[in-house]
Amino acid sequence: MILVRSAQGLYWMSRYLSRAEHLCRLLALQMEALVDRPFREVHFGWSRIYGSAHRQPPWGDIGELESDEGLLFDSYTLAEDLTFERLNPGSVWSCFAMGRENARQMRQCISAEMWLCLNLPYLRLQRMGIQDTWRTSPESFYTETAGAISTFTGAAADTMYRDENWFFLRLGRAVEQSQWTTTLLLTQLALSGGLSGESFEGDWETLLRLFHAFDAYMHRHGVQVDPQHVLDVLATDNQLPNSLSRTLGHIEEALDALGPGPDGWASDELRRLAGRVSALVKYEWDGRRNPEPLLREIGQHCRDIHDLIAATYFDYPVHDSPQR
Amino acid sequence: MDFTDYSLDPAIFDEMFLPNGEPREGSRRLHEALTELSQEDLAGIQERVTHSFSTEGITFTVYGDEEAEERIIPVDCVPRIITAAEWDFLERGLIQRVTTLNRFLSDVYAEGRIVSDGVIPVDVVRGCPQYRVEMRGMEPPLGVWVAICGTDIVRTNDGFFVLEDNLRVPSGVSYMIANRKAVKAGLRRVYRGTRVRDVENYGRLLRETLRELAPRGQSDPSVVLLTPGIYNSAFYEHMFLAGELGAQLVEGRDLLVNDGFVYTRTTAGLHRVDVIYRRVDDDFLDPLVFRPDSLLGVPGLMHAYRLGNVTLANAPGTGVADDKSVYAYVPDMVRYYLGEEPLLQNVETNLCRRPEGLEYTLDNLDKLVVKRVGGSGGYGMLVGPHATPSEREAYAEEMRKNPADFISQPTLSLSRAPCLVDGGFAPRHVDLRPFLLTGREARTVPGAFCRVALRPGSLVVNSSQGGGGKDLWVLED
Repeated sequence: MILVRSAQGLYWMSRYLSRAEHLCRLLALQMEALVDRPFREVHFGWSRIYGSAHRQPPWGDIGELESDEGLLFDSYTLAEDLTFERLNPGSVWSCFAMGRENARQMRQCISAEMWLCLNLPYLRLQRMGIQDTWRTSPESFYTETAGAISTFTGAAADTMYRDENWFFLRLGRAVEQSQWTTTLLLTQLALSGGLSGESFEGDWETLLRLFHAFDAYMHRHGVQVDPQHVLDVLATDNQLPNSLSRTLGHIEEALDALGPGPDGWASDELRRLAGRVSALVKYEWDGRRNPEPLLREIGQHCRDIHDLIAATYFDYPVHDSPQR
Repeated sequence: MDFTDYSLDPAIFDEMFLPNGEPREGSRRLHEALTELSQEDLAGIQERVTHSFSTEGITFTVYGDEEAEERIIPVDCVPRIITAAEWDFLERGLIQRVTTLNRFLSDVYAEGRIVSDGVIPVDVVRGCPQYRVEMRGMEPPLGVWVAICGTDIVRTNDGFFVLEDNLRVPSGVSYMIANRKAVKAGLRRVYRGTRVRDVENYGRLLRETLRELAPRGQSDPSVVLLTPGIYNSAFYEHMFLAGELGAQLVEGRDLLVNDGFVYTRTTAGLHRVDVIYRRVDDDFLDPLVFRPDSLLGVPGLMHAYRLGNVTLANAPGTGVADDKSVYAYVPDMVRYYLGEEPLLQNVETNLCRRPEGLEYTLDNLDKLVVKRVGGSGGYGMLVGPHATPSEREAYAEEMRKNPADFISQPTLSLSRAPCLVDGGFAPRHVDLRPFLLTGREARTVPGAFCRVALRPGSLVVNSSQGGGGKDLWVLED
């Protein structure tokens, strides 16, 4: 039994940090692409990042990035917008700062090791700007920042008592991961014109790398990168740490551990929906030639799960005189 | 590193050295250890101490900037020494003083004998903005109004003086413990060899104290610490103390009152609360009783308190006893309630509410320190000798408009202690804030938050005004 505010703080801390980590991994790949990849691939990369973040670039439309000329100049601005722009609530800086702010409020609920893992990179981030990262090796900056968040996650796994604090942390991470994965896959499909559209191996390969799934993919399907197979692996491979099916499993596990909240109806509905969305991936995915409608349905369910978590544990109504 | 450039002034008490330059008895071992360390060693220790504060997020917030700014409190790695005999005297003096102030509070919220007997004028008590009429007739558990007290004490060549009592929401105890942890890690050999008394059991003592104050003598009460939130200047301390207490750190929005009882909102429903260690000022505790615009408090909290269903520590209304006008009467209170002579001296205080006090203050503004009676944290005070003529004139203008808002005191020659400054030792003015806990009995930890005025020549030790901290070592017998 923990304070509602603590549960919310841990849940959101986890979501913000997870969001920052995803963005860093995307940007690290994008910085690598800037070195030697063709203009089309770089453009695809920026479109994928902005699409998955539900955001437009500072000049309004990513489509205006139309030629190799000025690519680095424009990329500098885009990277700054996504990394250090404090008015962008989805930038790495904003997400990291919000995660750290929640952690600061919840320091009582997290270990000293976790706090140190978070506070040191935060202090470093505070002192930096895009010019500092751009001067030498921008991809290193993103890799290190994502690594710091991974270290934080590892410190949590190593040091946190397995009580409600831990499971709200896990829940936040899993909900964020599930929403991000469905959004990213839908963005990828939209930009590629669906599975039947013109396919560029590089676009799908980076997606595999983003999920640390490239080796697993090759082991299972060989060296040919096929979009249908890529989606299958990312959605259904239970051995892949961040696959959709595994992430949804984490949500169910966390909810089982947390038990029902004070609001019985929302609590039942939450469990029913978490079970249903897991079943959709498990039983409905296989063999689909057009997974987009199913992905949309899963994405909507993941957003509904978030709302039901809030209704079950955070915003429940107080009706009667409680027990003394 | 030696002390050859360290200057002594016979008019100012030095915490490490006698006027002839010899180290004091209790400081010999520390002095020896410091002289054996190289400049690089000491710089390394200082850096590690500062770094530990930074990485652990031991911060305070400075008000007045556009955004509340989170700052690291500067900490000096050279400890200050208090001998066993000195501590014994301070401890006895503090217990005497806080016992008196608790009696005073019980009295002024009941029949007010001290006023009717003419020891203290009625307007000083009832005219004090911190006097809470809502507390009339209330008697907290065990008659303890002030469970946690932090008293500011300074030393001069004439001995120890109480500068002020902090009886509402005294802060600084976490810095006392953080300073100790950081400094003993840096000076581990000399610490082990010096037989320093422990301060890190403060959390256990606080827990015992709050348990004793539970409503109806409950043996296992549910305790929470109520904080104004993350933007409060002492939020780090609130978090630290909640951890030490094993209590939940709650904000007003985490609590609700139902049927005269206080509950926390948890993920499993509502959970009853018995004791609230509140770090929220009276004004903001309950919008139904105090400030109606408060978002920090809990509607109905005072109702639950009046019913005796929850304990608030410290009790609301304690501010009347640490008001700077009332302060002047504390020695008389000791004599009145305990029939004893006060052990700890007050600083001579001129009340500007009295015409002769105002006149004296205005005539001697260049020699006095002037404070607002309701002020704290070093905000809004005037240090006459360090102020410019135009600053003094502007301040005098304000005093003439509302004399009752001000008191003045002589500028004391606060004692100095060596600090590491620019790679060498330099003297800086210091004070100390020991903490006294009162439940069934009074308890202290042998230590204090030692504040230091880091700016050369400055007498203002408040962290919001450029002050820092220092570890204070109380020696065993």
